[in-house]
Amino acid sequence: MTGYSENAAAQLRPGLWQTVNERYPGSMIHKGDFVPLARLRKPLAESRLSFVSTAGVQLKGTLPFDTVHPVGDYTFRRVPSVSKRDELEIHQLKYPTHGAERDLNVIFPIERLQELAVEGIVGALTPNFFSFIGYNMDAERLERTLAEEIADAVVADGADVVLLSPA
Amino acid sequence: MSLKYLQEAVGAGDAEKLIRYVRLHLGDGDEAAGRREIDKAWIEALKLLLDVPETDRAFILQTIAERDAATLAHLYFHLHFYFVKRSGEWIHDGLL
Repeated sequence: MTGYSENAAAQLRPGLWQTVNERYPGSMIHKGDFVPLARLRKPLAESRLSFVSTAGVQLKGTLPFDTVHPVGDYTFRRVPSVSKRDELEIHQLKYPTHGAERDLNVIFPIERLQELAVEGIVGALTPNFFSFIGYNMDAERLERTLAEEIADAVVADGADVVLLSPA
Repeated sequence: MSLKYLQEAVGAGDAEKLIRYVRLHLGDGDEAAGRREIDKAWIEALKLLLDVPETDRAFILQTIAERDAATLAHLYFHLHFYFVKRSGEWIHDGLL
């Protein structure tokens, strides 16, 4: 990977790129700039929290993520944060889902986040959480379209803090 | 493999890189498994036709004639997974 700053390295799991490159040679993502994590501007108990996940979780009845396309799916789904477990399903081929089928919270902790909001640990949840699949071969397109669209949607939902979770 | 890597392989006519990618994709990162998955899908399709059943050939010809090549290519990938799933031997970690 080129342009790989030491600051960026500190935020990534050691060995991540080696693992990716073993399974998908040539898939290295070039990261030339460093975007630091933002600091929380108010206490968590007063903040509205959103959740962005690559788990491929979506509302039943919505168009399934395209898990077969050889270059990936660059769309996202809004998942209402009040959703019940039985209203959701997973469309994803690239990680084992049997654990998540038994307890969705291991990969998409919607019930735990709902509990944190009820308990006042976080101030509130955004109306929607945001979900997509992480199998994308065009990193530039992902950054230019999907990432921007999700960022805009998160801001539009009034988030103060966002939990990001790769599957 | 990145899209750029694949596009460069297409430009260079590097079929080895391209077929390796297809096998990795269909084998969830395991090239040998991907090769077996391709064979499995074709065997499943073949098995369905051995009794020479009536099929909707008009639909097939109409679809090929009227749909764009990209949609048909996408359908090709869908059909691969359809026949793999139908075979009853699902090696993939997740769900379509």
